[in-house]
Amino acid sequence: MSTLVLDNGAYFAKIGYSHEKVSVIPNCQFRSKTSRLKTFTANQLDEIKDPSGLFFILPFQKGYLVNWDVQRKVWDHLFGKDMFKVDFADTNIVITEPYFNFSSIQDTMNEILFEEYQFQSALRINAGSLSAHRYFHENNSELCCIVVDSGFSFTHIVPYCRGRKMKEGICRINVGGKLLSNHLKEIISYRQLHVMDETYVINQVKEDVCYVSQDFYKDMEIAQLKGEDNTVMRDYVLPDFSSIKKGFCKPREEMNFTGKYKTGEQILRLTNERFAVPEMLFHPSDIGIQEMGIPEALVNSINNMPEEMQPHFYKNIVLTGGNALFPGYRDRVYKEVRALAPVEYQVSVVLPQNPICYPWEGGKLLAENPDFEEMVVTREDYEENGHYVCEEKFDI
Amino acid sequence: MSSCSSHSDDLSSVRSQDPNQRRVLDSATRQRRLTRQLEALEKDNFQDDPHASLPQLVKRLPQFDESNESGKRRKKTRGDHFKQRFRKNFQTLLEEEDLSVSEGPNYLTAFAEPSKFPQRHFCAVCGFPSNYTCVSCGARYCCVRCLGTHHETRCLKWTV
Repeated sequence: MSTLVLDNGAYFAKIGYSHEKVSVIPNCQFRSKTSRLKTFTANQLDEIKDPSGLFFILPFQKGYLVNWDVQRKVWDHLFGKDMFKVDFADTNIVITEPYFNFSSIQDTMNEILFEEYQFQSALRINAGSLSAHRYFHENNSELCCIVVDSGFSFTHIVPYCRGRKMKEGICRINVGGKLLSNHLKEIISYRQLHVMDETYVINQVKEDVCYVSQDFYKDMEIAQLKGEDNTVMRDYVLPDFSSIKKGFCKPREEMNFTGKYKTGEQILRLTNERFAVPEMLFHPSDIGIQEMGIPEALVNSINNMPEEMQPHFYKNIVLTGGNALFPGYRDRVYKEVRALAPVEYQVSVVLPQNPICYPWEGGKLLAENPDFEEMVVTREDYEENGHYVCEEKFDI
Repeated sequence: MSSCSSHSDDLSSVRSQDPNQRRVLDSATRQRRLTRQLEALEKDNFQDDPHASLPQLVKRLPQFDESNESGKRRKKTRGDHFKQRFRKNFQTLLEEEDLSVSEGPNYLTAFAEPSKFPQRHFCAVCGFPSNYTCVSCGARYCCVRCLGTHHETRCLKWTV
């Protein structure tokens, strides 16, 4: 009786058996201009020789699963004989969902898991609950924690107390990795080179070169300097998929500050974009989205909680999600929350080793938990009682 | 994105630098443009589907290795009406939930509120902090050089 843990994200699906390692696989289908007949699913991305102008087909829209056709195809591929070779009748599945998931989506997921794939039993849970479980497992003495999950579609700030999420405190900021990449594409397309079609390449640029600045206006001043004094500026070499397979950032020693480069590479010169793009997580109002940034929303969310719990929340802030990988993210969150929080409370911000797989690891611990059997819904339960039993048992 | 000129029929006047003849957008139009730009940031793809122009016959090719053995294990899904449920878009699902009548925290109440801090403005051309606003369309710029670039490339080039 094995358990498959699947953190079903809008961009990456983190999947693995609870007794094995996790694999991070894109949760979408790709189409390429060059190979016209084939649609690539999930990790078949590696087979594409020329990822320029790659067309993405994502089953998620605004963070919620709307396109089941594509999702089923991806799952067929993941559960099939090429990947995990799932034996459905003998497997439990732990699968994650976004917060406040719509009931129609929940019902459809029940039907697909039990009637189409016929898993033995299933547990639907929020990704943040798995992160909280993992955090409490390590820090047994703490009662409350607050999880900041900054992913592809949006960022959620969720307080947890004794393992249960507090719905009144959940706050959602509609800024995620997708918005950051699209914004970067727009500004590069306006200032330097038309890259609006190159989602995959610019995503790579964002991951390699962007960072969170600790002092925004000072970095802006440095970025305006000319020549060697400008320590912020970097040149990024774009891939051309024949000689250069993957884009990379030129090291400072090789950079040519005056005049042009002699070689035939395509170069992007990035100055303030490096830190202005992740700044949108902290100040969405920079581009006109009238919402609070992460530190403000954290403090706001904690203020909505009962007074006696507030110091506990400030002491246990956990950062997860893909956007937590920006260099300087953790320090910046700490600095801003420390400035906004009352002076007598202690503030502590934790960034795990691997923020993307943190919920998956929580799922793995949960599968090994002795209470796991009571938390799942078995297929027999579902067939007797229908959607009602799932609504009762799963706290979404 | 065609621009319609309502104040004058002469196309050359749209491009002239004469301030008397440049159109000035009102705040409602500026708000609409901003909303349009923000919605464009939510798109997955900016190009068209490469498979869109291919004939449908390609998809009918049978795949003998996969379908035979999986047919034994899986029940068939219930046909077309089932598939229709799978294709709704986000807006439809949100409306179906009918959240305004339910009590307690839900998707709509979890929305982050507007920030208490004032908005910071950046030059639309170079990205550095800006101090000045374009008279016609409301975009920000930091120096006269950027204003020139803005007038040549983007100002009033398309309207909502």
